[in-house]
Amino acid sequence: MEAKHDVLVIGAGCAGMRAAIEAHDAGADVALLSKIHPVRSHSGAAEGGINAALGNASDDSPEEHAFDTVKGSDYLGDQDAIQILCDEAPGDVYELENWGAVFSRTEDGRIAQRPFGAAGEPRTAYAADITGHVLVHVLYEQVMKRSIPTYEEYFAWRLVMNDERCQGVIAWDLLNGGLKSIGAKTVILATGGAGRLYVGTTNAYACTGDGMAMALHVGVPLKDMEMMQFHPTTLAPTGVLITEGCRGEGAYLLNSDNDRFLKRYAPNAMELASRDVISRAEQTEIDEGRGVQGNVLLDLRHLGADRILERLHGTRELSMTFAGVDPIYEPIPVRPGAHYHMGGVDTDVWGQTSVTGLYAAGECACVSVHGANRLGGNALMETITFGKRAGRHAADWAMSHTTVEVPRSIETDAERDLKQLLDRSDGERPWSIRDELATTMHENFGVFRREEQMQRQAEIVARLRERYERVVVDDKGDVFNSDLTQALELGFLLELADCMIVSGIARKESRGAHARPDDFPDRDDENFMKHTIARLDDGRPQLEWRDVTMTKWQPQERKY
Amino acid sequence: MHSIAPAPGSTTMELALKIWRYNAETGEKELRRYEVEAPDWATLLDVLDIVKDKQDGTLAYRKSCRMMICGSCGMRMDGAAVLACKTRMWDIAQSGHEPVISPMGNLPVIKDLVVDMSPFWGKIRAVKPWLDPGYDEVAEKERIVSQQQMNVIHKEALCIMCGCCVSECNSMESDPDFLGPAALAKGFRFVGDARDQTSPERLSDLNSEHGIWDCTRCYFCNERCPKGVDPRDAIAKLGAESIKEGIDHDMGAKHAKWFVTSAKTTGWLRETELVPKTQGIVSAIKQTKFALGLARRGKVPPPVPPHVADRVSESRALYNLVKEQGRDGALGIVQGEHALGRIEFTEESGVRELAPEIQPGVEPPHAEG
Repeated sequence: MEAKHDVLVIGAGCAGMRAAIEAHDAGADVALLSKIHPVRSHSGAAEGGINAALGNASDDSPEEHAFDTVKGSDYLGDQDAIQILCDEAPGDVYELENWGAVFSRTEDGRIAQRPFGAAGEPRTAYAADITGHVLVHVLYEQVMKRSIPTYEEYFAWRLVMNDERCQGVIAWDLLNGGLKSIGAKTVILATGGAGRLYVGTTNAYACTGDGMAMALHVGVPLKDMEMMQFHPTTLAPTGVLITEGCRGEGAYLLNSDNDRFLKRYAPNAMELASRDVISRAEQTEIDEGRGVQGNVLLDLRHLGADRILERLHGTRELSMTFAGVDPIYEPIPVRPGAHYHMGGVDTDVWGQTSVTGLYAAGECACVSVHGANRLGGNALMETITFGKRAGRHAADWAMSHTTVEVPRSIETDAERDLKQLLDRSDGERPWSIRDELATTMHENFGVFRREEQMQRQAEIVARLRERYERVVVDDKGDVFNSDLTQALELGFLLELADCMIVSGIARKESRGAHARPDDFPDRDDENFMKHTIARLDDGRPQLEWRDVTMTKWQPQERKY
Repeated sequence: MHSIAPAPGSTTMELALKIWRYNAETGEKELRRYEVEAPDWATLLDVLDIVKDKQDGTLAYRKSCRMMICGSCGMRMDGAAVLACKTRMWDIAQSGHEPVISPMGNLPVIKDLVVDMSPFWGKIRAVKPWLDPGYDEVAEKERIVSQQQMNVIHKEALCIMCGCCVSECNSMESDPDFLGPAALAKGFRFVGDARDQTSPERLSDLNSEHGIWDCTRCYFCNERCPKGVDPRDAIAKLGAESIKEGIDHDMGAKHAKWFVTSAKTTGWLRETELVPKTQGIVSAIKQTKFALGLARRGKVPPPVPPHVADRVSESRALYNLVKEQGRDGALGIVQGEHALGRIEFTEESGVRELAPEIQPGVEPPHAEG
């Protein structure tokens, strides 16, 4: 064992850093561990903002925020968790401001808030269109202020189970090579999403679902894994994110007839309907031949140069670099792309999993506050509020328990398995498996889901998993062996794909991001207002169901 | 301003590039050539991915977001720092040029294109990079700060810590201890923040040896910053704020101050007084012979009678105007200004300037990236 701590946080984006800060302030010895430097985390790519009922732009209340979130979730979100999120959000945002977050301001100097999709009030606090960037940096400033030790460029590979509880992690040290085991009384997973399952995704290369897969391996179930959000405005060809803030500021979505087609899908909310609704509308327009080379058009021109430059300059930079379009003069071609995993590690409202000592927070967790469809601006808020709660609970637990031990046998097992992979010289390189997985997931498990496509995808993934057994790592060295870590990431992705498909096939209804237009076009509250709970049994995902927690909001028809 | 890249199409391109490979375990260095076929929209990062996937899995470089926000993929192309994910390769492929890819400068190389960023982060930490509001307890509400006040640090807040500016810093090349453009821009991010209560202490620290006055003003950091942060401007703002606050113990500050005094009083630079005012009397006496030599050849005017410009009143009026507008600190620094392709700073009165003027329907001014 290299070192031990009270609390070890794996992943250092917004959720991870917020958890570490809270654990530190609670008096625990806490460390961060991340495969990339904290400020490189993909939280930094969040653009539009963070939702809290501050009431700076209108009369607003946590109650209204909660209702919008429940409705947005298509009634799959747990209402007790949603209430906590919305109640704690304003205080948590003020705290970020106090730490120095560079929020945009109202005329009277308060935190500015903009309208966002499916929100009844302008509730999304923002820093131009680089809100995530601003938050990652302010959190890292606070991490530096507290001198929280950070295992930078450590690739977490396996959780350490000992004495029926999680007591640390085994990680590959990218800079120096070798497996290192770090012991901890509590471990918080904050490793983000798994968008790399799809060829068109807003997610970074780092978003490979490591924490979800590691949790699955130690017997923790994954919840609602079929719920992958497709963001309506991503750039061809790779899926770079164009913020919902554009539509919050008033941008239009047009088809090839120059028609604001959303009037046929969401006549009241139009461009500010929820993401699942707009992504389906776009995909329908494209499939029915009213797209523009596989895209629809996001038109910002009427906003004027001033507003674009002040509030959407990052968007302009991205469009000019990757699409060759200056949105001041031309509409931006956009299409749906994989964006956010509503599903993830099954936790309670303190981030606790079913394994003692193991917590999860942020996108890798499923509390669940997003249900079947997340509202724009709620993800950043979740990372902060539930990162903080997980950090607090994990610290309290750790400080009242004393022992940490990583049994040598667990280390030797890991070393043996890794050596087996590194020693293999005859077989397939990871990229062909990775590319085929991402392309087929997009085709067969995308915006719309069809039984026979999902079945086909299950077979494809099974074959890819067989091929993965013979995958070859070119780089046998110790120093910055990203060839090795990328191969390990692919293993994680393949296991998650399995869970998603099994859950998707079992959910015989249309709810939020899970749309089955051919066989089950409607929501079925009687049978499926339930979470899918997938756990591994002999290497294969087995499914259970769990009722959604309802407090005061009865399911209604969902229209925008 | 950013140049506009071509829209992604469906063709491919063929290109070759040379990559400086470095093996840390053996210490071997080698410039290796690779030929790849890539989609027309490929960036330098995409091309490296193709090499790593299909030709040589041992190639090492950092990457993550591929959308210019995480700051992982700073490296050099043909000797100049770039973000690999921002660098579209179409034009280069068409020209037939074979670019040379190498790791960033001023940082130790670990493997291939991966550098050791710890010296970089050490300097960031040295500027106490967190807000000091002057109290410990977090307030129950946000502080009231105008957008105009926040705009002062807008560009510095864009910094993604990629290290491209540090890679290119000429001053750091000769003085590895120089704090450097990224750390100093981070320093200004707090000095310029209306919520921070420790600006005088921060300025005093940044005026130490290896601080702001060691910048040689080569402007490479502004040129090469992929995000328009313009670190050199931040350093200029720190200098101006320091002098405004009366923090002028460094020779660099004295030098700058004398330029102002000199221009205000005579409309000219009074070179003969520059050395004593900047370096002190002792140093000036030591350089008397050199100064006389310069005077003899007409390189500097004789100190007496005072050399006063014809319309010195205009120079004095300019000085007074700057003072009156409160532009004698950071407010007066509007150089470079790559961010957003416009002058970002706003006056207290809230009047904003756009430069160049951009109007809907009018062709955008073409600029080079």
